Amino acid sequence: MKIRENVMKYVFFLAALVSVAAVLLICIFLFANGVPAMAKIGVFDFLLGKEWKPSDIPPLFGILPMILGSVYVTAGALILGVPIGLLTAVYMSRYCPKKIYGFLRMAVDLLAGIPSVVYGFFGIIILVPFVRNTFGGNGISILTACILLGIMILPTIISVSESAINAVSSNYYEGALALGATKESSIFKVVLPAAKSGILAGVVLGIGRAIGETMAVLMVVGNQARMPKGILQGVRTLTTNIVAEMGYAADLHREALIATGVVLFVFVLIINVIFSIIKNGGKNR
Amino acid sequence: MKKTVMGLIGLMICAGMITGCVGNDKNFDPKKGITVISREDGSGTRGAFSDLFELVVKTDDTQTDTTTLEAIIANKTGVVISDVVSDMYAIGYVSIGSLNESVKAVKINGVEAVGENVKNGTYEVSRPFNIAMNEKISDETQDFINYILSADGQAVVEESGYIQINSDTVRYEPTGASGKVVVSGSSSVSPLMEKLAEAYMGLNSGVSVEIQTSDSSTGMQNVMDGSCDIGMASRDLKESESSLKAMPIALDGIAIVVNTKNPLDNLTKEQVRNIFNGSIIKWSELN
Repeated sequence: MKIRENVMKYVFFLAALVSVAAVLLICIFLFANGVPAMAKIGVFDFLLGKEWKPSDIPPLFGILPMILGSVYVTAGALILGVPIGLLTAVYMSRYCPKKIYGFLRMAVDLLAGIPSVVYGFFGIIILVPFVRNTFGGNGISILTACILLGIMILPTIISVSESAINAVSSNYYEGALALGATKESSIFKVVLPAAKSGILAGVVLGIGRAIGETMAVLMVVGNQARMPKGILQGVRTLTTNIVAEMGYAADLHREALIATGVVLFVFVLIINVIFSIIKNGGKNR
Repeated sequence: MKKTVMGLIGLMICAGMITGCVGNDKNFDPKKGITVISREDGSGTRGAFSDLFELVVKTDDTQTDTTTLEAIIANKTGVVISDVVSDMYAIGYVSIGSLNESVKAVKINGVEAVGENVKNGTYEVSRPFNIAMNEKISDETQDFINYILSADGQAVVEESGYIQINSDTVRYEPTGASGKVVVSGSSSVSPLMEKLAEAYMGLNSGVSVEIQTSDSSTGMQNVMDGSCDIGMASRDLKESESSLKAMPIALDGIAIVVNTKNPLDNLTKEQVRNIFNGSIIKWSELN
């Protein structure tokens, strides 16, 4: 019996090691291939260069436009997605009748399960003409990508914020009501501030999803490798830079794309660190 | 209260749909800007296109691609076509073999973009499809390559809408080779390769040809590491791939495509060049 338990313990341990090993291997692969390329191009020329012309002689590998593109698209997605997501979470947690709740929950879960390519098709067929006819331009733009990503990050924000709001002790809410506050002000002035760290964590996870999204963005954002020019003009993000050119890239061009991956990886790492700081901060209080 | 809100949202959606429909039915307005659609850097189609239209400016030791930075970058032939279908003011380029009814191919210098004109040299916008293999190849691989370059194989090339590389080759004689040939690479070449493989297997049932579709770089990589026998490339080989032996199997024309609502049907080479390098930005500037 004892031996069997011990054996199983090691089996579980090995299973746990697989994910750690995967992360380590990815890190090693990325840095081993990406960092030398960055050194070859010149770190500043790479990170702050404004021109990406890999087929030219001499080639130019500047990814500043893509870094800015990723930041703009993600910021836009948050501006559209966070208010809607947060209000949905408040509604689901505090206002929603039981009958509607089940339906709403199902819709949100379904939204999370839709493959990103399908979002991309939705974007190309519905959103692009909508933006073109409503706001002008050719429809393939930062704005379109922001709307699409805003929808895509909703499930993350809604789920995490809702559980954060539900986790706030009912004493807070009832206490506020007992002091004569209305339902609205109890929720928005007492419950939400108490759930702040959980909601922030949801937003940070949403940022992670938005910045890493590739297929859907690729189809609606235009992928022009130049500095962002306006909300109705296209742009290229870090992820779309990699996926659009990987298929045909060779030599230094390929390595430069892997180095783009390193930059993206560092971004995601920073986001995860912020996420765990926020989460722990919430616990300690 | 709830009902009013729902009603309002419903109305807004209806209004949006109606304006959307009206927008789509509008006539072509030449004063609008041109939506230029190009392919990603490194793509075989883009490489050939920029060379042919002299968008790549070369001096002794530099080379600059002057394709406008405003061009939307589509990373697949299919995406170029769907972008052109959905935007009345768009212009893009695709392989003649991938053309379909949903878009309009314009004439270049008055010459129609069809295989015949590429073959007789009047339509100048074309590029070779290459295959690449290691120095040492198996008998069945050699047999398949012999077939592709034979009169029979080249007839399949012609039937598929591409252009023969060589019109006076000998006929293929089945040698009774047997085994498996794995072909991998460019998605531009693979529709043709599939037809060649099918016809070849009909003549020589002992060999099975397996085709893996990815892209030129992956195909070359696969040949070099031995996971396939023949690689397909829609571009010339890069320096790092020079250990491979490459040969063209067909020519492919590149068609310039516009939306079917666009009244335009002819462009000069100079005009195409100016559209794609950003000197012409409105359709009305073409006249």
